[in-house]
Amino acid sequence: MSVTPIQLARISNSQKIGRSQSSIALTQARLQQVQDQLTTGRRINAPSDDPGNATVAIQLQQVLDKRVAYADNLTAATSQLSQVDNSLANLTALLQQAKTLASANVGSDVSADQRNSAAAVVQSIYTQVLAIGNSQFGGTYLFAGDKGNAPPYVEAGGGVSFVGSSRTLANVFDDSKAIGFTVDPQTIFGGLSARTLGSTTLDPALTANTRLSDLAGAAGNGVSKTAFKLSNGSTTATIDLTGADTAQDVVNRINAATVGGITASLSGDHFILSSAVVGELITVSDIAGGTAAKDLGITATSSAFPVTGQSVAPKVTNLTPLGSLFAGAGLIGGGGIQLSNGTNTATVSLAGLTTVEDLLNKINQSGVGALARINANGTGIDIVNSAQGLPLSVGEAGGTIATQLGVKSFSNTLLLSDFNNGQGVRTAGNGNTIDFTITAKDGSSVAVDIGAATTVADVLNAINAAGAGKVTASLATTGTGIVLTDVSGGIGSLTVASANLSNTAEDLGINGTTPGATLNGRDTAPLQTPGVFSDLLSLLKALQGNSTAGITHAAAGIQSDLTQVINARGANGAAVKSFQSRADDLKGQNLATESLLSDIVDTDYTEATTRYTNLQTILQANYQTTSKMLQTSLLDYLR
Amino acid sequence: MSLFGSLNIGRNALAVQQGALQITSNNIANAGNTDYTRQSGRIVSAGDQRGGNGFLSGGGVDLIGINRNIDNALQGRLRSAVSDNNAAGTAQQWLGQVESVFNALGSTGLDGQLSAFFNSWSKLANAPQDAGQRQVVLTSGQGLARSFNSVSSQLDGIQTSLDQNLSGVSGDATRLAQQVADLNKQISVTEGGGNGQANNLRDQRDAALKQLSQLVNISTTEDKGQVNVFIGSQPLVLGSANRGLSVQQTIVNGVSQASLAFQDDGGPVPATGGQLGGLLAVRQAVSDVQGQVDGLAGNLIFELNKIHSSGQGLVGFSSTSSTNVVADPTAALDTAGAGLAFKPTNGSFVVQVTNKSTGQVTSTLVKVNLSGTGAPTTLNSLAGDLNGVSGLSAAVVNGKLTISGASPDVTFSFSQDSSGALAALGVNSFFTGTDASTVGVNAALTGNPQLLAASANGSAGDNTSAVTIAALNTKPLASLQGLTLRGKYNSTIINLASNTAIAKTEAAAADNVQQTLEAQRESLSGVSTDEESINLVQQQKAYQAAAQLVSTVNQMLETILAMLK
Repeated sequence: MSVTPIQLARISNSQKIGRSQSSIALTQARLQQVQDQLTTGRRINAPSDDPGNATVAIQLQQVLDKRVAYADNLTAATSQLSQVDNSLANLTALLQQAKTLASANVGSDVSADQRNSAAAVVQSIYTQVLAIGNSQFGGTYLFAGDKGNAPPYVEAGGGVSFVGSSRTLANVFDDSKAIGFTVDPQTIFGGLSARTLGSTTLDPALTANTRLSDLAGAAGNGVSKTAFKLSNGSTTATIDLTGADTAQDVVNRINAATVGGITASLSGDHFILSSAVVGELITVSDIAGGTAAKDLGITATSSAFPVTGQSVAPKVTNLTPLGSLFAGAGLIGGGGIQLSNGTNTATVSLAGLTTVEDLLNKINQSGVGALARINANGTGIDIVNSAQGLPLSVGEAGGTIATQLGVKSFSNTLLLSDFNNGQGVRTAGNGNTIDFTITAKDGSSVAVDIGAATTVADVLNAINAAGAGKVTASLATTGTGIVLTDVSGGIGSLTVASANLSNTAEDLGINGTTPGATLNGRDTAPLQTPGVFSDLLSLLKALQGNSTAGITHAAAGIQSDLTQVINARGANGAAVKSFQSRADDLKGQNLATESLLSDIVDTDYTEATTRYTNLQTILQANYQTTSKMLQTSLLDYLR
Repeated sequence: MSLFGSLNIGRNALAVQQGALQITSNNIANAGNTDYTRQSGRIVSAGDQRGGNGFLSGGGVDLIGINRNIDNALQGRLRSAVSDNNAAGTAQQWLGQVESVFNALGSTGLDGQLSAFFNSWSKLANAPQDAGQRQVVLTSGQGLARSFNSVSSQLDGIQTSLDQNLSGVSGDATRLAQQVADLNKQISVTEGGGNGQANNLRDQRDAALKQLSQLVNISTTEDKGQVNVFIGSQPLVLGSANRGLSVQQTIVNGVSQASLAFQDDGGPVPATGGQLGGLLAVRQAVSDVQGQVDGLAGNLIFELNKIHSSGQGLVGFSSTSSTNVVADPTAALDTAGAGLAFKPTNGSFVVQVTNKSTGQVTSTLVKVNLSGTGAPTTLNSLAGDLNGVSGLSAAVVNGKLTISGASPDVTFSFSQDSSGALAALGVNSFFTGTDASTVGVNAALTGNPQLLAASANGSAGDNTSAVTIAALNTKPLASLQGLTLRGKYNSTIINLASNTAIAKTEAAAADNVQQTLEAQRESLSGVSTDEESINLVQQQKAYQAAAQLVSTVNQMLETILAMLK
């Protein structure tokens, strides 16, 4: 309380009254303040009560508010993954049951009827597993990645297609990076073939509409939208790429700078600098700390026109025109792509397609389970098989389009180890070298030893070498497989037969006979998609078909599925545990923050009560002194 | 030296004591009047008289005037302390009101709403398809918008009250100034004839000046009994002339601004103290806060819409219309002619057209050319470009862009907008409006929550856009000079709190100064009844003594006269 200094000669009546009034008012105001603190329980009721501490209080409150979302997210993630755990427990039990059934029915003492009735049980297991794969949690399909609005596993054409996504969803659970809270269904049920077609870099050309954000950049670091220097020796301009969106914007900015006669243009997958002034020295350099010129591949000092930049490696996007592929050369020749899943064959023709997206749409809608997409690095197109239980072959439809795109499933570079669902091609054993014999139409016999062949090209070479003048081997120009053509000119049949009990010809898909001049081999290396459904369907077929070999094979598959599911369940359990411990940590952190906040904004009752009592005493003293002082007057004594 | 001389002295002494008694009684009567200045008589011994014997003898006593016990310099200091105190008190009172608008430490204020809003997006990311959580996002968005609207309208209300107060107080100040001018005239007339001061008129004038100093900072000079009043260096009252104050409303950038002016020539009034000074300072402070809140809302709207407009909902649009009107559809979108509150930049966006029956998606790049080279993108050209996309039809209707699927089988969505044009136009936007008073949630979303864009890759179950929006809460923004939205809010609140706290401290300090000066003034000019009682006794005794003197002289005269019988 401020006290007016007393150094005054006289004290007037109003002064006495005024002082009493103001000291009573001040004490009452202070009492009111303490009373507020006591009744609200808060020391700071408005930020202006204590701006410094209020700042901290507001920030702490914001931290607590933010953690409300974190806590909710942790709860949601825990219940989501617990639901997954539940599903995985059921799935494990079902696969165990299937495995037991397989072992029980593999023996020679089991009759076809018994196997048929076991098949009915497997059918039911399959249906239940499919239901688990398509189970929902809170209206979202649990195993559909980011496509949770539709069932991820769809029965089609005797197989099961995965139409979900492997992309897991992530959210924030603390102030660091987002982490995933959904599972990748592929790691549980399987979904896409392990073999991926698409080995070719498609190298799209720069177009006026190519966005800078879609360039991998000359150094592979994208394109930094900063500034660089352009000079002709006498004039130097700083070209600022801030706000530039497309390759054409870069060209426009260089041209607008009018440095001597220097102009820029687009060519193929790179920028070109040129000059209208003969002998002009073009110098492009980055400013300190900048990488724009390097990213654009045009760092140069040259007077030899045109100055050709390095490739800026434009990425393949949905918007990339097909005509811009291969640095603008496009796809050469007609034809298209033939896709087959064993029962259905579809041909994708390039006619009428303009962009990569159009092509992907056509392939994805071909109805054979093929899934075409742009690869992760944006350098080309991948095709995978999304259907379990159905093979996928991708070949030419009369041209070389599939080869150019690098998506041919049966190509010269195909490894023999990829044949027969990864079981490879068996060769003659027991010290024998001849794997199969080809009988040409003129009756001559060609013994073929594929020797140490590792690729299809090796096999074709071996056949062509052994059968010189009699028979030639090549890849099918439409569809897939090896084609044997008789050149002996005889009138007999063209026959391929196994030698030395070898399975080589069968494994290559070329055993058989034909009265014609060409023997079209079967595709024994289609893309197969492993997974729970594929194995259950194999088991079902094997039981129905009374095939012990099939049952054994399917049982092995189910065993590996089981291992995968158990691993996935373990990983999922660890994730649940980690979310739970994060939730516990968060509670601890909240306690600490709340106590800090309370220290700042909450009333210290001991202190406040003491102050309250103290102020009451002061107020009483005020009243008493005032009443005494005002009562006494000199007049009382002047009688 | 005669008996009659003594009688005369006695008579004078009686008259002087009566006069002194009158002064004392006037003082006692005004003991409770704080405007009153204690008066005291100037009593002197009367001049010498030469008696018959040639000696000079005293002539008794004389009352030659009545003094006001006043220190004019102290009065001036007191007035300036009163001005300071009133300015700080006014600021404290009003800023406290502004502070309470935000309820910054409560859970229901703007801050709590911001938290709830961003949390709802974070929770949506857990289940992006969940209809209930979508509704929660929309509801909390509306809550936040209403909070902004309410803060804005309450601040507007405070501005209106401030303006009303300003004109009321300036009217009072004009009346008081008139009173001073009138009193100047009266004092001049009253004092003009004889000697002595018109003490009570002067008291009235001092009271008027003190009241005036409560309203505005004044300084005074006295010239021949008349007081000239100045505000800063500008005269308000010169002699008996009053210039008067008035409030002028001007519109600056669409915002009404009040300022003080002199009535006679409309010149600006440099009011920095008193209630007027306080009100003007608060008005400026409230304007600043309004600007900051509008800036916060504007940044939230544009930054969030930029993310939202590049995202996709559970379903595509079958038709949509932009929410922001373009004044001139033939003007480049980033120019003043287009009249957009948020300016798009050079860039492009992708529009995806989905055939509902086949599920086939066709993407098309739409360029927004604001690079300065080539024909710039206008609303008309943008509509033309969109119209050229297979499956879409687009048109400009009343300055708004309307886009619709060419057939019922077609839906469309947007992505990868690097230009901000969609957000600037209000296509596929979350918030509508441009500032705190106009912000709202896009009615298209409340009508169909499935259009809420939680996805950024086109998959309905994706949550990328929701996660990005939730992170906007704490993302440093270039448009806020590297501050986050919450940082901006915090700095606004803390600024306001500091100003309010400073006003409180200043008010307490100014009050202290005023009390000290008032004590000094009271000490000099205030009436003490004790002192007056003593005076009273003294005067009574002096009167009795003088009366006794007259009586004694009378007896002596009678003795002389008896000798003559």
